Amino acid sequence: MIKINDLNFGYSKHKLLFKNLSMQLSNGHIYGLLGKNGAGKSTLLKNLAGLVYAQSGTLEVLGYNPAKRQPALLQQICFIPEEFYLPSVKIDAYVKANAAFYPNFDHAYFATLLAEFDIPVGQKLINMSYGQKKKLIIAFGLATNAKLIIMDEPTNGLDIPSKAQFRKIMASALTEDRCIIISTHQVRDLDNLIDTVIMVDENSIALKASVEEITNKLCFKRVKEMDDTIIYAEPSMAGYNAVMPNFHQEDSKLDLELLFNAVLAEKNKLKPIFN
Amino acid sequence: MNNTFNIQRFGLLLKRQWLEFGKIYLITLGVAAGVIIAFYGFSLYGLLIGERDFSARALNFREPLFLIFGFLFITVIASSYFAHLGQKPKAIIDLLIPASTFEKFLAGLFFTTILSSVAFLLIFFSIDLAFVSKLRSVFPDWNFTNMIGTKPESMIIYFFNENKPKEFTSIYLIVPFFITSIFLLGSIYFNKYHYIKTTIAVMIFSGIWGYIIVNTAELVFKGRVAIYRNSSIEVDNPKLWAEIGIFCLILLLTAIIWRITYQRLKEKEV
Repeated sequence: MIKINDLNFGYSKHKLLFKNLSMQLSNGHIYGLLGKNGAGKSTLLKNLAGLVYAQSGTLEVLGYNPAKRQPALLQQICFIPEEFYLPSVKIDAYVKANAAFYPNFDHAYFATLLAEFDIPVGQKLINMSYGQKKKLIIAFGLATNAKLIIMDEPTNGLDIPSKAQFRKIMASALTEDRCIIISTHQVRDLDNLIDTVIMVDENSIALKASVEEITNKLCFKRVKEMDDTIIYAEPSMAGYNAVMPNFHQEDSKLDLELLFNAVLAEKNKLKPIFN
Repeated sequence: MNNTFNIQRFGLLLKRQWLEFGKIYLITLGVAAGVIIAFYGFSLYGLLIGERDFSARALNFREPLFLIFGFLFITVIASSYFAHLGQKPKAIIDLLIPASTFEKFLAGLFFTTILSSVAFLLIFFSIDLAFVSKLRSVFPDWNFTNMIGTKPESMIIYFFNENKPKEFTSIYLIVPFFITSIFLLGSIYFNKYHYIKTTIAVMIFSGIWGYIIVNTAELVFKGRVAIYRNSSIEVDNPKLWAEIGIFCLILLLTAIIWRITYQRLKEKEV
């Protein structure tokens, strides 16, 4: 679905944010895009949506070049930005004006999502809280039935019940022909939701692996003492939460936050494991 | 699917843009109507209540009002159309609407050039019609027999009857397109203070352009005198040729500015 080859991008010509970035993303997956503030998560998503232009390299989304912003591709992209603007109209008017651009827009599904997110229907968009607006654009985006769903910090501004609803809805929204990319720095919000982790750090992709591959190759467990096999550890109440190579094929649950910190701190130790 | 232009998609885009842009548009139109009514009311109040006698100069305020306010109205509208693209949250939603860049650009032209000019002409015409009709009913005796014939003519003339372009009509038609094209470009070129920045840019550009032309003309023609001699080539209608020349020049400049605006829209990044 998405092919990136030797992509070079920077907001200034002298300082590149991505250097020779290459990656392929396929449908039927929920990708979690993680990285520090300023690592380039949002910029990578904007490149995919054609909102910024790369200096060099090729980028293909569903066979189109997103930089051309062709309607045939835009109909298949649902982009939920971190900051957004909604006009001062009621939901009905907003849907009437925008839904017609998406040939697969599902009004019944949209109504179901509004009910699930507990969004009052008759209210003007401008009078809604930030969280309600965010849930509305998520509901609208999913109802477009777009093949590529890009979400930049979607859980920002959502309360705790809404985050749980969000995870539930996103899990059910995944179909075989859809690709969902969710960027966040709140890694715990993506627990049990994503099936592939992409980590951006220092101009490139520091890690891209499925949850299964990660738990096959790494073991996340609590240890009492440090030893040489441990790649990265953080002190906890009863010892350390550690990441170590999974020599004995143990079953362990992926700790996204621990993995995130491990990649940032011990990139060189992790790279050979995933290459 | 045609990724450049589709009439149905263009119609949807116009509807959607009206939802976003319509409120600003109607407010500006309301303000414009209010100001025109205020000017008419202030200038003609004494006449309408019979306090003053009618004089031919009483309606002279209309021409500067039409030109200055008309200019302000169409430039303010044009200057605000793409202005939101300078704001990240609005730009993302707008750029990702599934319509082509060409359709988005055409929608911009429709709202800023055609609709704004027609709307201004219409409100000016309506307000003038109302006030002048009232004035005519107050001063029905202001009919006189003109010096040549016997046909009576009213001195109280509707604005568009009095100012109907008798010549250079095509230039009157193209000028609003040219003016709005400049301010539409300004609205996408600058991220903030679009109107002021565009005005300053136009002043600087016109200044430089004027300076170059004056100096070039001086360099070419200084110390020379024009010699008129009989030529075998005669121009039948010099006014018509001048009109065609000026029209083509303005049209070309407008087309260039539109092309630049389209390119800016195409390359707009967030």
